Parts: sequence; structure tokens; C-alpha cells
Amino acid sequence: MSYVAGRVASALGVLLAAFTLAFLLLQALPGDAVMIRFESPELGLSPEQIATIRESYGADAGLLTQYGHALAGAVQGDFGFSAATGAPVRVLIGEAIGSTVLLAVLGLLTATVLAVALAVAATLLPWSWLAGAIRSLPSLFVSVPVFWLGIVLVQIFSFRLGWISVIRPGPLEGLILPVLTLAVPISAPLAQILLRSIDTARAAPFVGVVRAKGASEGWLLANNVLRNAAVPALTIAGVLLGELIGGAVVTETVFARYGIGRITADALATQDVPVLQAIVVLAAAAFVVVNLGVDLLAPIVDPRLRRRAAA
Amino acid sequence: MSRIAHRPAAGIVSFAVAAVMLAGCASGSGGGTADSTTDAATGSSGTDATPAGDVQTGGELLYLEYQPFTTLYPPQSGFYPNGGIIANITDRLVYQDPVTLELEPWLATDWTVNEDATEYTFDLRPGVTFSDGTQLTADVVAKNFDLYGLGDAERGFPVSEQINNYAGSTVVDEDTVTFSFSAPAPGFLQATSANGAGILSEATLDGDVDFFAPGNATQVVGTGPFVVADETVGTELLLEAREDYDWAPPSLEHQGRAYLDAVRFTVTPEDAVRVGALTSGQADLVRYVQAYDEQQVTGAGLQLFAPQTQGVNNSLSLRFTNPILSDLKVRQALVAGVDAQEVVDTIFTENYPAATGVLSHTALGYVDESDRLAYDPEHAAELLDEAGWTLDGATDGIRTKDGQRLSLVASEAKPQPLSKDTLTLVAQQLAKIGVELKILAADAGTFAEAIVDPDQVQLYHSMVARSDLDVIKSQYHSQNRNSLLSTDAELDRLLEVVSSTADPAARLEASKAAQDYLVEQAYVIPLFEEPQVYGAQNYVHGFGWDSIARPIFYSTWLEG
Repeated sequence: MSYVAGRVASALGVLLAAFTLAFLLLQALPGDAVMIRFESPELGLSPEQIATIRESYGADAGLLTQYGHALAGAVQGDFGFSAATGAPVRVLIGEAIGSTVLLAVLGLLTATVLAVALAVAATLLPWSWLAGAIRSLPSLFVSVPVFWLGIVLVQIFSFRLGWISVIRPGPLEGLILPVLTLAVPISAPLAQILLRSIDTARAAPFVGVVRAKGASEGWLLANNVLRNAAVPALTIAGVLLGELIGGAVVTETVFARYGIGRITADALATQDVPVLQAIVVLAAAAFVVVNLGVDLLAPIVDPRLRRRAAA
Repeated sequence: MSRIAHRPAAGIVSFAVAAVMLAGCASGSGGGTADSTTDAATGSSGTDATPAGDVQTGGELLYLEYQPFTTLYPPQSGFYPNGGIIANITDRLVYQDPVTLELEPWLATDWTVNEDATEYTFDLRPGVTFSDGTQLTADVVAKNFDLYGLGDAERGFPVSEQINNYAGSTVVDEDTVTFSFSAPAPGFLQATSANGAGILSEATLDGDVDFFAPGNATQVVGTGPFVVADETVGTELLLEAREDYDWAPPSLEHQGRAYLDAVRFTVTPEDAVRVGALTSGQADLVRYVQAYDEQQVTGAGLQLFAPQTQGVNNSLSLRFTNPILSDLKVRQALVAGVDAQEVVDTIFTENYPAATGVLSHTALGYVDESDRLAYDPEHAAELLDEAGWTLDGATDGIRTKDGQRLSLVASEAKPQPLSKDTLTLVAQQLAKIGVELKILAADAGTFAEAIVDPDQVQLYHSMVARSDLDVIKSQYHSQNRNSLLSTDAELDRLLEVVSSTADPAARLEASKAAQDYLVEQAYVIPLFEEPQVYGAQNYVHGFGWDSIARPIFYSTWLEG
């Protein structure tokens, strides 16, 4: 019980630190959202009009006042209004989050399937040239730019073959290409870690013993090696969440999907502090939750960790 | 998987036809709606496309937009995505013919202007209703212009840049309203025809600036032929036709409801995806076909429209308050050192005519300044020598003066087409005369600060569209967009004469004087006349645009 309470408290601490750091960094940047939105010469506002608007937004209030205001709102789940468009941040995020979570979860699942498939194939295939080729695939995947991959997939499967519509696709149809685009680069580090751990585990003495008893390579992999190799891959999966968020920025732009990635890109372009604050807190929360999940899951996968925790 | 639209192509429009249409648009004869050009083209090639008479009502048009809108507050309709929506959900008091630029009745049946253009009285059309059911009255119209003309800082509304010297309104009777001005305001009549003066309902006008923000579009109510029926923030907007719409400009042949049942705006930020979606039949109409993608559209035998924005040309403003650019000879050298024709030939297409003056050649009050804007690198080099910027001792080909390098910074115009490519080419041209031009690379906040500081950005890339002589004041006056960051009282005075001379002939003269002054002082390097480029399927007919190239769907219909 105290373990869970401790974890929750440290999670809240991480969130507060992320919020504060993001606030300070965004304040340290030159200019601000009100300036970007209203002082653009394209709007043709006179200096007096701009001064009045700045005052009404409280853009020149002290740092502490602004921080206190933002924090008080954030605690109540109210991140205020987008400085760039005036839309409530709650609405912007609320409309976007579902699609991004779906994309990220499916992306991660597909990447996992892809990574396991690659690792298993590279280990079990009897032809060494093919196994070698498969082993080098992750290096290729990790160097493929998400943006380029997305465009190529759209060009081939939508514009040339006409199999999938990218404009107003059905809910399932609209996920296929973006999920693939996201999954390929994510699967690369997963597959690499998995391959390396499999190699390590296969070289372990106990594997030699099992093999000597007459177990086939497939049986070995499924019953002994994979389970031993899974924990490092599981840990890296938590870290890959960051990659997923970065990938979503590009994927959502290419596929004209509205989600957290698109909002992040727009908010960065306009230095939209309230929106960015909310996204930072959201991303931090996602990291905290996922890593907590990984920590809780690891002992289930690997009993050795359980024993150590109990001792 | 079967959601891709497969429409039967009734008449196969050949590539030649598309080319004819393109030429028509580029030469400026390509009318305000696509019908005139389309029919001329199909007629001449003898295909069996449905003639304009057989208009078909119904259907939903899928329109791909480049960016999401930022606000539906009409005075901020200058941003293309905002204007494209406002133009279709609101009506204006006066209608401006996009070809002749004549001002004709719309929601106002008649109007009178006093001698010195300080008082405008409008008679309103009876029987007009907002989509929320309320009546169009003199009170509501007065309330609209009081907000646009005076602003309301408390609610976050600035004064509209298109309305000058506004003093107030008087409701004469139920359908008559008078607007008065503290100084002559000859541009006001055109301002009432612009998207910036879209008439909104009483309830809409009570909202604050955030009322018009994304997420609330269905609450923004006008009298226009379309109504915002549904909105998905950042991705989609559904405009539905109003069945009871019956107050189109009387000069239009088309009256009554819009032909389409609905227009669906879908935001597709990636250029390649927008054009690919069009050529693969997944979209009906797309905005912002990049110059290098035009060939793809015409090559697929589809329609390409390139209406002009008809205002101040896409140009570089030379910030003369910067010490280097304070020297007239240096500015003249920069003007002579930039080859606008090469920019157009290299980066753009014939839909982007090279600039021959401060204003577009189809704009009101256009003056041909091409003699004084001519490309002459040798003369440019001489001028720089005379100004003391010499190549003596220069190691990298960049001129120096008293140890200072002749190095300048230009800012990229994000909303304008291929701004970075344009600036890169201009930098290459200027390098030939020994001038270094850097392109500002910065985050949004640094950018916003830098572009209002003449010591950080000396060449400001921008344009502005509006079909009135006042447009030049919008761009260059120190209290408006102030693209020059001007301290030149004489320039301000000349621009104020444009916006406050009641006599039309004298006003044209005033505009000429301002244009001449800008060119004489070498304050600007005009580059090209900026169009809005749309690509459409061949079954899309009657697609139109207003005088500044915003899309108009009122008379658009789908064949087959």
C-alpha cells in the first residue's frame, strides 16, 4: 500500500516539475503568444490597440502572478484558452486526444508484433543469408524518416493503387497507413533490443543444457529464451513513448489527422503557451503512467524480479 | 475501402482545353466564375460537356483546405482559411463584381453618399433573415459597423483596417441606416462589400473575440447562402445550403438557394496529399496548388483556376530606418539588382505574372512603374560604388564600407507561396552585385520580435489583397500594417490623401502619387502578382471567387 502511495506521490512530483519547467522555458523564449497573434503587421493594428489587448490578456503581469494563475487552473483541469485562437484548451485537447491515443496504442502494438516477428525470423530461419538480411532491417527502419515513409505509403496505396482513401477515410481505413508509418520506425529499436537479448539468452549455460536434452530451437525460443529476453524490450517500450509522440506530429500532418501531434506542431508555431503547457503535462502524465505499468508488469514476466522485490 | 469517389466523367476535357483555360485565367480575362472560361473552352473543343444551362441542384462538394481557420470574426478575414468560410456564410451590404470591380446592390438596395464622403446612407433589402431566424434590420446593421468601425478592446476586437475614420451610426428607420465619419472615407463603400464587413446576427455580435474561435463555428450566424452545420476542430467544417436563401446580389443570374446541398471543408496541410487526392479522384476541389504541382493537375486533365488577389503585389519592403538602407542609392541598387522575371520563370508559372508596379495590373489605380523597376545589375553595382560600398579588399565577394559588410536579413512570409524559395533566389541575385542576403530563421516568438525591428529584418516579404485604392494605405501606413516600419511623414500624408479624398478622379491621382513616391524612394521591390490557385474535377461547374480570389460556392454545381 505504501509502495503505491509513494509511487503516486512521486508521479505528482514529476508532473509538477514538468509543468514548472515547461512554464519557465516557455517564458524564457523571446516574444509571447499575444504578441505573435496580434502584433503581426498583417493584422494592421495600431500600437495603442495592441497595448489595450495586451493589458486585457494580462500579458505583462509578473512571472509569479502568471505562474500562480496557470498552476491554479491546471490543478482544476482548466488550462485556460489558446492564446493563438482563443479556443478553450480543454476543448482542443479533448477533441484531439482520442485519435492520438488510438494511433499510439495501435502503433505500439503493431511495432511490437513487427519487432517480435523480425526477431523470431532472424533467429529461427535456417538460411543464414536471409536471417542476416532480416537482422539488418531494424537499422534500415530506424533511418527511414517518418515523413518520407508516410508520403510514400500514401502515394502507393492511395494515389496509385486506390486501395485506401486518405481524404475522409472510414475509421478503420484511416488508421492503416498512419499506424504503419508510426510502427516501422518504432519497431526498429524494439527489434534490435530483442535480438540482442535473444542472442545473450541463447548463449546462456542453461540454454545449452535444455538444448542438450534435445529441445528444438523453436521450442527453446518460445519457452525459455523469449521470456528471458522480454524484460529489456519491455523497458525500452516505455521509453519509446516519446518516439510515438514525435512520430504523431509528423504522421498526423501527413495524413491530415487531427490529434495531439497536430496541435503540438501548431502550438509550437504560434508559441501558444497555454496549449503547450497542457501538452507537456499530458505527455508527462503518459510517461509516468506507462513507466509505472512497465514496472508493475516486469515482475510478472520475469519471476526473478519478483523474488528480489520480496527479499 | 470503397469510399473513394468514382464519378463518371461526362465530357473528357483534353489537356489542350485545360491549357486554354489556364491561358484565359492568366491573362486576366478569366472572369469571376469558372463557367465563362469552362464553357468557352469546352465549346471550342467540341466536347459534350453539359452546357451551363443544365444546372444540377444537390450534392456535397469536398473541398480541401490548406490550413484550419483561426477565427470567423469578419475583420480578420484576410487570412485565407478564415476568408474562405466567411465569404460563404455572410452577405454584405454591397456586391463587388469580381471582374469589373463595380459596386452593386446586395443587402442594400440603394445608397447615397454625401459630397465629401463623410456620410453614407443605406436602404436595406426587405425580407432578409439570419439563419437563426431573426430579421435583418437597420439596428443590426448599425451594430455590425459600430463594432467593425470602432472596435471593442475590452472584448478583444480591434478596429477593422478596412474602415477608416468611422464616427458612428444612426438608425433612420426600420430599413435605413446612416454611417458618419470624422473625415472623408471614400473607401468605405468598397469596405462594405468586403468579407471584412460580413453582416452578422445580433446574438453573434454579442460574443467576445473567443466566441469566433475554432470550436464555436456553428454559433456564428450570418445571412449567407450557407450555414456552418457542423465543425470538427482543426479538421472539418460542414457548410449546408439554406433552403430559404433568396437575396443574392440582383445582378447575378443565379437567384434563390445555392445549387450545392453542402460544402465540406477538410483541412489537408500536406501539399503532396492535397494534389494527389485531387488527381486520384478523392476530392472535388482543392485550394493552394503549389506552382510546381500545377503541371500535375493540368496533366491529369483537370481544371486549374488561378484568380488574382488584385491588391498590393507580393513584394519586399525595404526598411529605410535601418542605417544601411537609409541611403537612397543602396535601396535603388537593391531594386535594380533583383530580377523579378527570373523569380517568376524559375519558381513560379505564368499564373504569377511578374510585377510591373506596386499594385497588381488588374487592381484599381494600377500604375505601370516597370521602367523604374527594371533589372540592371551593372547600374546597381555603380550605385553601390557611389554609395561607398566597394569590393576593395572583399574576400568573399561581399561589399564593405568602413569595415562593415553589406549584409541584410529578409523575413520569410509564411502565408505566401514559396516565400523561402523566392528569397533564396533573390539572395543569389543580390550576391552577384556584392550584397549578402540572409533569410531569418527563428522560432515564432523571435520571428514576431524581429520583423518589427529594422535592425533585425531589413527586407520584409509580404502582400495584401483588397479591391480598393485604400489597400496601399493598409500596407504602408505607419498606423496600419506598416510593412516599411516607416517614419516618413510624407509617405503617411500621401497615403492619407488616398483614403480621404472624396472625388474619385482626384483619389486615383492620389494613389498614383503614393505609388510614384514608393518607387522613387525605392522603398519596395515588387516581385509578382499573387494568385490563389485552385484545382478542380471536371464535373465541378460554376466555381467562383470574389475580387480577392476567396472561393465562392454559391453558384457551384456538380455534374453527373
